[in-house]
Amino acid sequence: MALTLLLLVPLLAAIALIAIPGESRVERGIALGSTVVTALLAVVVVWGRHEVDVPWIRSLGVRWHFGVDGISAALVLLTALLTVAVVAHALAGPIPKGGTGSTFLGCILLVETGALATFLARDAILFFIAFEVVLVPMWVLVRRFGDDHVRDETRADAAGRFVLFTVLGSTLMLVGILFLVHHQGTSDLTVLADRHGAGIARPLEIAIASLLLLGLGIKVPLWPLHTWLPSAHTIAPTAGSVLLAAVLLKMGTYGIVRVVVATVPQGVAALSPVLAVLGVVGILWGGLACLVERDLKRLIAYSSVAHMGFVALAIASGSETGLQAALFGNIAHGVVAALLFFVVGDLKEQWGSADLQVARAALRDKAPRFGFVLVVGLAAALGLPGLVSFWGEFLALYAAWSPARDRPVALLRVCVVLGAAGLALAAAYSLRVARIVWAGEGSEAAEGPAAEPVADSRGARWAVAMALVVVIVVLGLVPHLLLGLSDAATTGLLAGLGVTP
Amino acid sequence: MKGLTIDYGVLLPALAPVAGLVLVLVADLLLPRLRRVPYAIAGLASLGSAATTLPGLSLGGGSTRETFCVTGGFGAGSSSLPAVDGLPQVCLWQADALGSTLQLAAAVSALVCIALAWPRSRRRRPTDSTREPVEAVLLLAALAGTVVVAAGRDVGTWLVALELATLPVIALVALSGRRSAVAGATQLLVTSLVSFALLVLGVALWFAATGSPFLTPDAALSSAGAFSAAGTAPTVVVWPSVSAGLVALATVLVLAGIGFKLSLVPFHAWTPTAYAGSSVPVATFLATVSKIAALAALLVVLRAVAVLGTPALLSIAVLASLSMTLGNVMALRQDDVVRLLAWSTVAQAGWVVLPLVSISALGVGASATYLLTYVVATLVAFAVVAVTLRDRPHDGRTIAAYEGLWQRSPWRAGALALALTSLAGLPPGIIGLVGKITALQPVVAEGWIWLAVVAAVNAVIGVAVYLRWLRAVITADASAAAFGTVTRRPVMVAGLVVAAAVLVVVSVQPDLLLRLLG
Repeated sequence: MALTLLLLVPLLAAIALIAIPGESRVERGIALGSTVVTALLAVVVVWGRHEVDVPWIRSLGVRWHFGVDGISAALVLLTALLTVAVVAHALAGPIPKGGTGSTFLGCILLVETGALATFLARDAILFFIAFEVVLVPMWVLVRRFGDDHVRDETRADAAGRFVLFTVLGSTLMLVGILFLVHHQGTSDLTVLADRHGAGIARPLEIAIASLLLLGLGIKVPLWPLHTWLPSAHTIAPTAGSVLLAAVLLKMGTYGIVRVVVATVPQGVAALSPVLAVLGVVGILWGGLACLVERDLKRLIAYSSVAHMGFVALAIASGSETGLQAALFGNIAHGVVAALLFFVVGDLKEQWGSADLQVARAALRDKAPRFGFVLVVGLAAALGLPGLVSFWGEFLALYAAWSPARDRPVALLRVCVVLGAAGLALAAAYSLRVARIVWAGEGSEAAEGPAAEPVADSRGARWAVAMALVVVIVVLGLVPHLLLGLSDAATTGLLAGLGVTP
Repeated sequence: MKGLTIDYGVLLPALAPVAGLVLVLVADLLLPRLRRVPYAIAGLASLGSAATTLPGLSLGGGSTRETFCVTGGFGAGSSSLPAVDGLPQVCLWQADALGSTLQLAAAVSALVCIALAWPRSRRRRPTDSTREPVEAVLLLAALAGTVVVAAGRDVGTWLVALELATLPVIALVALSGRRSAVAGATQLLVTSLVSFALLVLGVALWFAATGSPFLTPDAALSSAGAFSAAGTAPTVVVWPSVSAGLVALATVLVLAGIGFKLSLVPFHAWTPTAYAGSSVPVATFLATVSKIAALAALLVVLRAVAVLGTPALLSIAVLASLSMTLGNVMALRQDDVVRLLAWSTVAQAGWVVLPLVSISALGVGASATYLLTYVVATLVAFAVVAVTLRDRPHDGRTIAAYEGLWQRSPWRAGALALALTSLAGLPPGIIGLVGKITALQPVVAEGWIWLAVVAAVNAVIGVAVYLRWLRAVITADASAAAFGTVTRRPVMVAGLVVAAAVLVVVSVQPDLLLRLLG
């Protein structure tokens, strides 16, 4: 019951919001109220490990089957809580130009619905359908509410690229899922994980795994399929960027763990060298791009590519630690990227652009709250011990150094060395941003409006940022809170015992 | 001919439009110059046709509602059917769940088309001739043809009904008034003649190969199964291997002939001209009822040859991938929404035949499912175009006319958004997504990886096509209030509401539509 409500509340609220014509005060109440209720329901559902399983599309054998387990619990909580933050943040400032506030909030809620359904789905075809739900609302967010300082064609390009890349990915994934379902005779993810690839010939398993990895790799995004990400992140409004980085990218990695690793383990084992190499190239590529990137939002987008590279490397290791690291890295990146995009979005709103070449007044002196939050975010992004990202990346490298027995040890160790170099790059670019934006290197040259200090963060936006800082520090100090959640589930998933909800 | 039994109850779906047709003619004879009455009769007749298909929908797998059944020696040379009492009889009319569903879809689509074409109450000039009775008769005739072709099982009825479903539409296109309509009608006429020639040739080869005038699995088996049957049953088939080849050739010819009607590439050239030339309701009819007729006809043949397995599979795969690709790429370049929908029809026709690479119950069911999802979504899109065209007669056909629709009339915009996302196969148009899943399933089951990948790429181009239009719908338009006077058009809006309601319901619960097909 609670689980059905968890999906229905944001959905119905979104429909109500979109149906409301024009501007009104009611929309704010509906949006905030429904996200808070959804977050509470998410806590209830995760706490009670609820499950719902009723027939839906009988002819296709698709069941309305949703449930929580250790692998999805943290992501469900992240999505539900972060949406509250996103809505609170959006309501505390002006609604981006391009349309009514109700449409904007409605699209945010639809994205939340789709993401929750994706993380909760226990049926492969249902997973695919839920995966597609986020596309149109996200497209609307980027296309209509995107950065209004750029030309319309740029917005069209960013939004179109996002939606077309993602649709290609998900349709390839669908083909893979249909192959899997055809050969296993069921689309129930629990059963598929139980079988653990039994009954499928190895070449076929590899073919299915490559289709699925290709499809999900676009969403993650894995290098070289990441080209849609920077432009979408740059153009999207703050709410869109946060949801994109913190929630949508996670659907890709979660999908790899849930639909690929659990169901076609041999295929993943065979493809793990490719996965590891692409992950490491992503780490280095993202890091190098960040060293020279001028646009701050784009820079954070590239750093997402690098962070997701660590997750891919962790999955490639095939060990239980690797899976834990991947899930932990997912959450860590979600929280850190959300914080950074909140801050940078606020700054861009006041600056008018996020160009690092423009000399501006330093944050340290003039806007200490922004400065503090930005420094925490950057410190987390470079993997400082004691903050949340450290565990994800450290565990990923550790797992890849001593991978599962059937993985190529030498190759993975080379990848680990290169990945460690990527950590150094992360430090370099984080410090570069801190130097320019926080310490204000070259700010003496600032003139005109750029020399004006920004108004510091306050009210709900400050509360949102601080909440994320607290999460970053707490999970960094007590990582077991999160690792304990997924511990039993990852063991079962790798052993093919299925995951008991 | 002995033992011919006729059950009129089963025939009602076809009799209703025919009765309506006669009524319209009588009414026109008694009271000429009526405008709305013929349409009202036509609407009632399609409603009646739709209602009478309902008993056929609940049929379980395999069972059919049959009539015109004969036992034994019917037609020339059908000696493969031993004239022995007690053996399974052959019925010329077999309406199973799939056939009834297609009939229902055709009747409902015709109803919506009639609502969209609902005439104004007054003539602009008193001297204007009344075209309405003629149009109503033509619509009903085409509907009757469609209903019959879905259930007819002998080659004569099949051919005649298929042409009955096609030829009146040509006249409708020509009548619809614009100057370009004649060009469209001519092209359609020429195409139909070629298509008819191919079909007749195909059917003739079928008859030569099987010696049977029935389009049934039994007849198909009589060509291939002649070896095993030899000695136990008399047969006219002398060279079994030759006749199997003939059946394959017949299938390919029928496929080509129907390819014209389904607008599969390379038989698609008439589609944009005819759609753009005719009025929107007639284009809607072409895009929905005519497509149902074509697919119903194709399925009758393919289900008959299914027992053989067929070598025509590769041609189906090639036609499907060509249609999808060319249709989508061309649709991407259109600024006229009717032309866009025309090219989208070409692309969707590719998706419709895609599952037929698996000639099995799975493939046939998937093909019909996809057709229905396409028909429902297309009906809504065309209905929105028709309503918009009444508001803005001059530029209602351009994508630009839809800018700011979300602000002007949110309900209409919502219906259009749902239709476009269904055609694109994206949520919230869940039914379109389910249609894509269903269509890909048989392809995957048969292991056609390259075809599945082509389809995946085309799904992406398709999304680009429909999002182009959708972008205009959701764009904020500063000059939102600046458009023509709103004409009252309750019947037209009712048509839109009916179609949109069906779309919403099947999007929430796709099983309703999927289960119809048994």
